[in-house]
Parts: sequence; C-alpha cells; structure tokens
Amino acid sequence: MKRLLDRAAVLGALIGLLVLTGSGPVWAEDGVTDKEVVVGAGMDLTGAVANWGVNIKAGMEAVFNRVNDAGGVHGRKIRLIAYDHVYQPPKAVTNAKRLVERDKVFVMMGHLGTPTTKAIKEYLEERRVPNIFPSTAASIWTTSGPWHIGDLATYADQTWMIIDHLVKDKKIKKIASFYQDDEYGLDGHLAGKARLKQHELAYVAEVDYKRADIDFSSQAAKLKESGAEAVILQAVYREPPRLAEQCHAIGYHPVFIGPSPIVVDKTIELGGKHVDGMMGVEVYPLPTEPGAFLDLYRADMKKYFPNLALDTTNLYGYQKAALFVEGMQRAGRNLTRDSVLKGIESIKDWDPGWGLKYSYGGDARRVMSRVGRLVVVKDGKWTKVGEWMELKEGGRR
Amino acid sequence: MVEILTSQVVSGLATGCVYALIALGFVLIFKATDVVNFAQGEFVMVSGFISYTLLIRFGIPYWLVLILTIVVSGFMGVILERVVVRPIMNAPIFSIVIATIGASTVLRSAAGIIYGYDVLPLPTIFSKDPVRLGVLNFTAMDVGVIGSSLVIMLILYLFFKFTKTGTAMRATAQSQTAARLMGVSVSRIFSLTWAISAGIGGVAGVLIAPIIYLDPNLGFIGVKAFAGAILGGFGSIPGAIVGGMLLGIIENLSGYFFNAGIKQVSTYILLILVLVIWPSGLFGAAPIRKV
Repeated sequence: MKRLLDRAAVLGALIGLLVLTGSGPVWAEDGVTDKEVVVGAGMDLTGAVANWGVNIKAGMEAVFNRVNDAGGVHGRKIRLIAYDHVYQPPKAVTNAKRLVERDKVFVMMGHLGTPTTKAIKEYLEERRVPNIFPSTAASIWTTSGPWHIGDLATYADQTWMIIDHLVKDKKIKKIASFYQDDEYGLDGHLAGKARLKQHELAYVAEVDYKRADIDFSSQAAKLKESGAEAVILQAVYREPPRLAEQCHAIGYHPVFIGPSPIVVDKTIELGGKHVDGMMGVEVYPLPTEPGAFLDLYRADMKKYFPNLALDTTNLYGYQKAALFVEGMQRAGRNLTRDSVLKGIESIKDWDPGWGLKYSYGGDARRVMSRVGRLVVVKDGKWTKVGEWMELKEGGRR
Repeated sequence: MVEILTSQVVSGLATGCVYALIALGFVLIFKATDVVNFAQGEFVMVSGFISYTLLIRFGIPYWLVLILTIVVSGFMGVILERVVVRPIMNAPIFSIVIATIGASTVLRSAAGIIYGYDVLPLPTIFSKDPVRLGVLNFTAMDVGVIGSSLVIMLILYLFFKFTKTGTAMRATAQSQTAARLMGVSVSRIFSLTWAISAGIGGVAGVLIAPIIYLDPNLGFIGVKAFAGAILGGFGSIPGAIVGGMLLGIIENLSGYFFNAGIKQVSTYILLILVLVIWPSGLFGAAPIRKV
C-alpha cells in the first residue's frame, strides 16, 4: 500500500513538473529565445531558378543584417537558415523537416517556388508553423487558411489584368497560353482560362512545358499553328527568351506577355533583341526608381552584398523581409507564432516609402498588396507602360 | 504544316548533332578503355565556361576561343584520366564508373563555386535569325551546328583511318595485348583517347551553350547523349552518331505531336522499344558467344 502511495506521489510530482514547464516563459516558442529569432527558408541555390534563390536570400539577409546591427527587433536578432532545395519538391520536404524538427525554426519565411512550397504546405499546417510570404505569388497562399500568408498580387490576379489588357486595350481575341506544367504555371493558366470565358473567349492554344526544359521548338510550332496574336507566358526567366527566339526562328512574332516572375533583368540578358517588346506585370517598383525605401535598399545591398547587382529578384526578398520585420515589431516583445501572424494582419496602409502601401484585409485575400502595373522591354530595359492599378481578385472560376 | 514539320526536323537534327558529339565521346573512351565515363557531360559544361571566360572576360576572338577551348578541354580529359582513372585502372569497372560519376559532381560543384549557379548567355558567331529555303525553315545557327558537327566527325574519321596514331588507337580498341606487342604504347593511347573525347565534348559545349544557355547543370545533357549512344548500339561509332541525331529529331517531333510530358519520356520509350527489338542497338554488333 505504501509503495502504491509512493508511486502516486512520484507520478503527481512528474505531472506537476510537466504542467510547470508547460506554462513556463511565454516565448518558449520554437526558434525564439531572449536574444534571437530563428527563421527558416527553402531556396533554390543551385538549380533551374537559382538566380531567384540566391538573390531573394541576399535581399532578406540585407534587411536582417541591418536590423541586427541596430540591435534587432525588441532585442532579438534575426537569424535566417536557408537550405537548397534545387527547385525540387521532394528535396523541399526533407529540408522543411530538417528546419522544423532539427533547427526548430520559428517560422518559414520567403520559401521559394510554387511546387516546392506546395509540397510542404500540409506539413507546415500539421506542425503549426506559419508560412510567411513564400516567394511564390500563387493564389493558393492567399486562400489556404491561417498558416499561410502571401505578400503580393497573385499570378491569378495578374493574369486577369493581362487578359483584360489584351482583350480590352489591344483588342486581341486570339490568345494562347504557354505554361509550366505544375502548380505555378497552372495558377495563372487556369485563372486566365476563367477570365477569357467571362469575355466569351477561350485560349486558341494551351501549350505546356516541364520545369527545367531547355528546348521549346515544338511549343513554338504549336503556337504558330494556332495563329495566336498574343502568348501568355506562365513561366520563369529562362523559358521566355528561348521561346521567343524559337518563335522568331520560324517567322512567328506574337505579343509575349507574362506575370511578374518573367520581369527580371535575366530575361533580357538571355534573350537580347528577341525579347524586345515583351510585356510583363510588375508588382513592386524597379530597383532604380526614386524613394526613401529604395535608397535604404540600395545602401543595404551595397553594404552587405557589394558583389550582387541591384535586381528585381533581391528587391523582392528585401521587401518581404522588411514587411516581416514590421510584423514582428507589431507583435511586440511577447513573440509567438500567433502574435507574429496577428502583427502582420494588423498592418494597414503601411508605407515604407516607395509609393506602395501595404494593407492586410478588406477582402478574402490573405495578401499585403494587391497592385500591379504593365511593363515592356524597351531598349534593353523593363520600362513601365501603365500606372499602378488595384487588381481584381482573379480566380479560376 | 510541312514547313513546320521540316523546321522541327532541322532544329531537332541540330540538337541531335550535339548529342551525337557527346555520344561519340562516350563511345571512344569505352572502346579504348572499357570505361563508361559519366563525366562526359561535364566536359561539355566546363568547356562552355572556358569559352565564356575567354570570350567575355578576356575578349579573345571567337575562332581562337574555339581552338583554345578544344585544347584546354583535351588537357582536362588527360588530367581526369591520369588523376582519377589510371590509379584505379585495375579495380572493377564498376568502381571506375562510380569514380567518373564522382568526378562529374566535383566538376559541377567547382563550376558552381567559381561562376555561381546563374544562367549565362554565351555568344555565338551563328545568327539565330530565320532563313527560308522553299519548304525548309531554319536558322543559320542550326546549319552552323550541323555543319560544325559533321566537320568534326569527318576529321575524326580521317584521323582514325589514315594516321598512324589513329590506327594504333583502333588497334588498342581491338586488343590491348596485340597492340602492345606491336609496339604501341597503350597508356599513351589511353591518354590520347581521353584527350580526344574531352576535346569533342569541348566542341559540343561551344555549340550547345549558346542555344540552351550556360549553367553548371548543363552537363546533364550527357544523360540524353548516353541514351543516344545506346540507341545506336553502345560501342559503335556510326551508331553513336546516328543514335544521337535520331534522338534529337524524335524528341522534337514527339513534343510537337504530343505534350511536354511525352516529349520528356519519348526518348526513353524509344530506347526501350529499340532494345527490345535489337538488344545491341541499331548499329551494335551481335554479341559473340563463347563456346
């Protein structure tokens, strides 16, 4: 009997201990200590879209370095751990598990790529790790519940803008879609299909390609045969110049237009004269424009990454990180996954100083900015052709 | 329709010629030394970066760059043979093959560390503007690539057929012992074979990099060329050439008639079909059975 009582006492003490540790310091959240916040990211540093990965990571680190040098956010320095997923979904899953379970990251921040981020979506939800501003503007992040939050106008929203521009402004009815056959390409492709239907039109050709494909001569032939006057490029920076080249080689010169991932200097560097006149949608200003926020960006990049050229890719990472830091400021000293999400969601009309304001809420989209404007390649440079427009919520229906 | 089909065939043939050059590199080394060199694709990639450096960083004229690239690639082949392959020449073939895979990873990472993983455009002397000739639709680039490849193949043919060294190389491929007895330095022939294979890889690099852009992952094109070599009958030189060319054309046509997914696997489906019907490939000699 006494032994039983002893056991009960030990058990009671153990339960007590568990309860006590469970209700310990409030910031006993993974990846948060008194002095540090650890954020994780999966990037493509050596694969098909490495140009994006390397630059986004640098842009985010430029902000974190500046903030850390000034003492951090509420006394905590930000440390970014990024692993290379080579733009391959299976590797992204392994990396995410390593980040969450071994490195105990606080949040996933700026995770690159639509197919790669989609591969870890359910895992992050299961582990209740916020997926903050993934480096993919697919609409899935804006509509998938509390653990995901996007930053900019989605590919779906942008494609609606493209279709409206082609149909209403350019009076083009024969429109074709060239898309990456995965969650990235399909987002804009299907949204475009839906928008065309509302204009009582349909794609005259739907031509796909696989990630990391390098030859598009058969796609060029199909597009030419369809007689499309405009081709929407749901692609990244490597395919549009090659496709344009191969279309021109068979004497086919449609209007090429695509969402934000094609609006990088690399597209022009690779394509040369073949991308002259190519159009794109821009969702944040160019690195060379005036503005206090851009001055800060240019100074930080020069200080921390003097060897990297100023480019839309690293500016993308930079504005993400700046927005995240603002969210952390608002979350206060008591930093939890919940409080940082609330902090981000409390951002309204926040103006970092470049003419664009960030606001959460107001409609069903979990994003911070909903604007876009059209740009065109002119004299070897992306040049704006329109003003910032609030984009409609583009869907697949 | 006819015009589009012919343009598909011509551009497929251009890519196919590059596959054929890489496949030749595979087959030459295999014939002489029984080793399958999986770093063959990396020769292509490295030579692309060599010509990029010479052209862009040093501003050397194109024709000189072409010669220098071939020479430097050749040296790289010799170094690889001396440093990686020769010390383990008596190890099982399997180990040597793994060593070449290791070498390919090292070369790929080295290129990544030096040049970064960014995609770079490599200039070319051939124009990418369209040319029309009746029903034929092509670019000067296509013709240039096809022509250059054929010239290289012709030079190789003449070399093997009419020079003393070429004859010694063929002899070594047939029987190392007999060649040695006839006074051929087999180890020198091995080095030379690697140099030639890497040099051909160099030509392939200069030809293909301007088309599909330059990055450290360019070497993966070697996998397709390898499939081309098997298609033609691994070990057969005409087989490597025809197999590579065929592969390029079929890839393009399947992409045109079907979708990107089919295009991606079409070469492998064809490969399996050919091997089922002709187990030793299109040009492969029937296996000799020992009795």
